[in-house]
Amino acid sequence: MKLKQRWMAGLAVLALSLTLFSGCGQVTDTAVSYGLKDIPAYSGEPYVAVNNNEPLFTDDERKNDQAFEEYAPLDDLGRCGTAYSCVGRELMPTEARGNISQVKPTGWHSVKYDCVDGKNLYNRCHLIGYQLTAENANDRNLITGTRYLNVEGMLPFENLVADYIKETDNHVLYRVTPIFSGDNLVADGVLMEGYSVEDGGEGVTFCVYAYNVQPGVTIDYATGDSALAGETPTGEIGQTGERDYVLNTGTKKFHLPDCASATDMKAANRQEYHGTRDTLIQQGYAPCGRCKP
Amino acid sequence: MKLIVCLDDKNGMAFNRRRQSADRVVTEEIRTLCGPAPLWTDAYTAKLFADAPPADLRVSEDPLHQARAGEYCFLETAPVTDGAEAEEIIVFRWNRVYPRDRVFDLDLSRRTCTQTREFPGHSHERITMEVYR
Repeated sequence: MKLKQRWMAGLAVLALSLTLFSGCGQVTDTAVSYGLKDIPAYSGEPYVAVNNNEPLFTDDERKNDQAFEEYAPLDDLGRCGTAYSCVGRELMPTEARGNISQVKPTGWHSVKYDCVDGKNLYNRCHLIGYQLTAENANDRNLITGTRYLNVEGMLPFENLVADYIKETDNHVLYRVTPIFSGDNLVADGVLMEGYSVEDGGEGVTFCVYAYNVQPGVTIDYATGDSALAGETPTGEIGQTGERDYVLNTGTKKFHLPDCASATDMKAANRQEYHGTRDTLIQQGYAPCGRCKP
Repeated sequence: MKLIVCLDDKNGMAFNRRRQSADRVVTEEIRTLCGPAPLWTDAYTAKLFADAPPADLRVSEDPLHQARAGEYCFLETAPVTDGAEAEEIIVFRWNRVYPRDRVFDLDLSRRTCTQTREFPGHSHERITMEVYR
């Protein structure tokens, strides 16, 4: 209960502040629905300073040097809200990161483009990075984020905080809020705030907005559909023609992952597959008549 | 003047008027490197050496223009542009990516790298020291 109260208070302050500098902010229970007009459009830099780089923590929050971590419950659309922590050595991982592939954040698509580093357009982006609070498959801490957001936008700040804590054994207030427009399933970006407690922010102070974009790719943020820049966004088939399918090895049919037949099939016959439709047909599989993949 | 800088993988130096990172092993390396020669810094950087000051630490609001031949200048958050004529540039690379709004904008490709050495830091897995003349 105490943790929940702290999260609600933090969100209220954040919401107020966002409203103040947006002029048209709207706040829902668990996701900040925020007019982005005062944040400049993406212009080639992965992040931009917000509020003169001054985080929105209250004076009382800035005095807290006790480690905690809080993740807002998912909203009615299944979207993440604010993730907030006072990060210290005691929360940092002591073992390698585990598997998180079972989590499918809102707007998730497995889609590849040759122009993307590693080809996968989307990553399961930790709001608070694993190196800070050791959270694995926590669905309240994972959003659908582009490779660019993950590596160019968020990772530099996670590294900054992690290495500062390792060097000083101090604590850092760290809050990440995904910003969704309306009912979009994919966030436009994330607001990231950091403040080092014991030295009054001398070591770490930042307040930035990181863009959930991928240069060369157009994204439909309502659904997560995507296309090469200049083309019309479509579903899961990217530039490589590959996507996720579910195979029924008994009937030799292949299905879209959300097909009812895929849900109903015997576990023994079920096989997940990522590749092209043509390859499956060459292997003797036929498309399902219900979902028509 | 011998210029000392710490850089990330994208030649970043600082963000929001703060150094990108620090490591006590690098601080000690710099102290040893300078030996008895003067080390010029600003007040912000001088705090790094509070526990173990170099033999001749000199603090100035404009350390780059105070350091003379044979003397060291360690810059973290100030522009390095006027250091183009430095007789030597010593780079400590974090081998990490950090946020940046101050970058190292001197062209090292016009110099000769005379020394490269890697060592583990206290909070960094691998730090690379490079000396350019």
